[in-house]
Amino acid sequence: MVRGIMGVAVLVTAYPPNRLRAQDSQFGVQGLGTPGRFESVRARSTAGAFTPFDPLSPLTEAPLADLSILTATAMSGTSYRESDLGGSTASLRSTRFPLLSAAGRVAPRLALAAGFTTYLDKSWDVTQRDSTLLRGVLQRYTDELTSNGSVADVRFAAASRLTRRIAIGGGIHLLTGSTRQTAERRFDDTTFHTVQQLAEVRYSGFGISGSVLIGVAPGLSLAGWARSDSRLRAKAGDSTTALTDLPHGAGGGLLFAPSPSVRIGGSVAWRSWSRSGPGAFNTWSWSGGAEFGSGRMPLRLGVRGGQMPFGPGTTAPTEFAAAAGTGRSFAQGRASIDLGVERLERRGTGLTERVWTVLVGLTVRP
Amino acid sequence: MRVRRLALIGAAVLAAACVEDLSAPGVCPNYCPTAGLTIADTVLYDLSRDSSFRGYVLPHRSALLLAANVPGVVDGRAIFRINGPGTRFRINPNDTTTGLIEGADSARLRMVISRYDTALTNLALAFYRLPKTIDSTTTFADVSGAFTDSLLRTLNIDSLLAKPNRKDSVTGDSAAVDTIGHTIALFVKFDSTAARYVGADSGSVAYGIRVSANSPVSIAITSGLAAGPQFLSRYIRVDSSGVPVSRNMGLGLPAFASFVRNPPSPPIDSTLAVGGAPSARSIIRVAFPRVIRDSSQIIRATLSLVPAVAAAGVPIDSFAVEVHAVLVDLGAKSPIAIDLTHTDSTMIHIGATDTVQVEVTNVLQAWAADSTQPTTFVLRARDEAQSFAEVRFYPTAAPAFRPSLRITYVRRYPFGGR
Repeated sequence: MVRGIMGVAVLVTAYPPNRLRAQDSQFGVQGLGTPGRFESVRARSTAGAFTPFDPLSPLTEAPLADLSILTATAMSGTSYRESDLGGSTASLRSTRFPLLSAAGRVAPRLALAAGFTTYLDKSWDVTQRDSTLLRGVLQRYTDELTSNGSVADVRFAAASRLTRRIAIGGGIHLLTGSTRQTAERRFDDTTFHTVQQLAEVRYSGFGISGSVLIGVAPGLSLAGWARSDSRLRAKAGDSTTALTDLPHGAGGGLLFAPSPSVRIGGSVAWRSWSRSGPGAFNTWSWSGGAEFGSGRMPLRLGVRGGQMPFGPGTTAPTEFAAAAGTGRSFAQGRASIDLGVERLERRGTGLTERVWTVLVGLTVRP
Repeated sequence: MRVRRLALIGAAVLAAACVEDLSAPGVCPNYCPTAGLTIADTVLYDLSRDSSFRGYVLPHRSALLLAANVPGVVDGRAIFRINGPGTRFRINPNDTTTGLIEGADSARLRMVISRYDTALTNLALAFYRLPKTIDSTTTFADVSGAFTDSLLRTLNIDSLLAKPNRKDSVTGDSAAVDTIGHTIALFVKFDSTAARYVGADSGSVAYGIRVSANSPVSIAITSGLAAGPQFLSRYIRVDSSGVPVSRNMGLGLPAFASFVRNPPSPPIDSTLAVGGAPSARSIIRVAFPRVIRDSSQIIRATLSLVPAVAAAGVPIDSFAVEVHAVLVDLGAKSPIAIDLTHTDSTMIHIGATDTVQVEVTNVLQAWAADSTQPTTFVLRARDEAQSFAEVRFYPTAAPAFRPSLRITYVRRYPFGGR
């Protein structure tokens, strides 16, 4: 059975890299992209409420201190997105593999983790009809601008439990990735040749983070985290084409477990995305969720809300989501599969996106 | 059981991974990239060092023999020679015994008219005997005497085509019309006089063809060793021990074929000549701006040429002018790039004086793709020396009518911008 699980794990994680394109949103087309979630399937099934306390979510490091054995996890998400833009609707689909992480204890008071997650999704494809006056004649054309790729957050983290009640952690984040961008214009009048330009744009950046986990009372925990990212450097060929300030962020969470089979949590987060330039906003986000049952198949529920960092107009687009999920352990707890589903709605100037996302996570403890 | 369940889950995950549809209609400017493609349009007058040269394809190297009768413009006549067997011929094909050739009885000439105006009426050919000395240096004046006093016979093509099965039982002529290729194959009967055998000439014969119709006419006859005018059969009388016997010499292929014209091709002057026979080419050099060459994508380029002298002739003489890139600029001897990615073309219509616009996008894109290429145009007729018509454009030295190059290009998209 373990071999079967490992087989599925290999298939999920070793899928061809050209498919590892990020989830996208039209709100990110004019901005840096769509920020990633930094959540495992389990945390995302609670709408992010458990994220600050989840050792397999790359948001905080302190919970890693409670991992007793080496643990690896990966997830995939398939989204079915419907956008409504000024009465014009479009149905879009995409599949992403936004998380791969391995962590374990290397000393009695020290745990280490390494992995990557999606920092910014930069995949989109926009087509547009327009016309322009050329040589005295109005020429109609179709533009197609595309970007395929993402910026990944490669994290190296360490955590230690200082006392029975306090654990701390820190991490460094290497931001790296690339997008293949194309710009194409096809004229209705074929006397004008089709314009096709493409470029490979590489991204790099750096960030640090720290977090703390405090056991306030039996069954009640508090978590706090902070993160600072430097600048995102975009290079096309040998030229730096953009140097964009990345946000600072901070957040915290509360987890209450009145009984072994009930856990209730909530979290908030703030990020200073407005540093990245015009059309960007600082964002607040919140979430609340619960997990019921600790046996074979727990039930997870949650809701989240908040703002999107990029969008037109003077106010930030908003999002609201509800999520649910469950999980199942196999092989005497050495492996588990988590399943989740999320319904998300984003609203901004003239645009509403509704997304169903099916999440599958696989965790292995060899 | 559990293994099967896991396999099903794995398959479901992979199936879900096989979807991708990211394309969304853009509603700009709110939900489109802030940067767009920028198009610029410019007209270059920086064309210079132009010149013309004649003699690239000579009439006797042409794939067509031209005959025309356009009063005031050109009088063109096809000429060709078929070499003879010598003074003796085999009496019996199965042995080597030969006999003296005493004379000729008849011959059947085959020729193909590959270009003609179907609207012509009373289209006729006149065959003349020419001296067997005709060669590539022969001019119209050299053979004008023969074309005056050595008429052998005439053939009215319209009349022949109107006969049943396109056969004239009286003259022995016949024709075959290819309605797809728009050609007429003529089979012309020559009697003993027209197909005469002269021992001093080793049996060689030379003919000239003059064309006429009720209106100005220009035709082209297929040339070449195998396709040119030729004897399908030629019957001669051979002495066999004092008894004349008739023998068929069989196929007689043309040893030389060309055409002459009056007046001769006008000399090259300061204008840019293209076409004619012998064919003329013109060369124009372009100062191609680096900003366009290195950092832009050319989507359309148009070369404008103002005719100084319109192409003259009949409408069927309209011809295509090609603009080529050159592999290396060696002036008149510049080797031209003949593949489609380095060539553009346009039609030159007889009598038209409008500005000629040639789309040269392919050539300029080739220049932009390879910065080592010389930025030189060569203008030539697509089918050189296959039409008497010739066009002459104003050169770069004529300020009001000089050639110009209009380029529409797209600047580099600012990839990687926020």
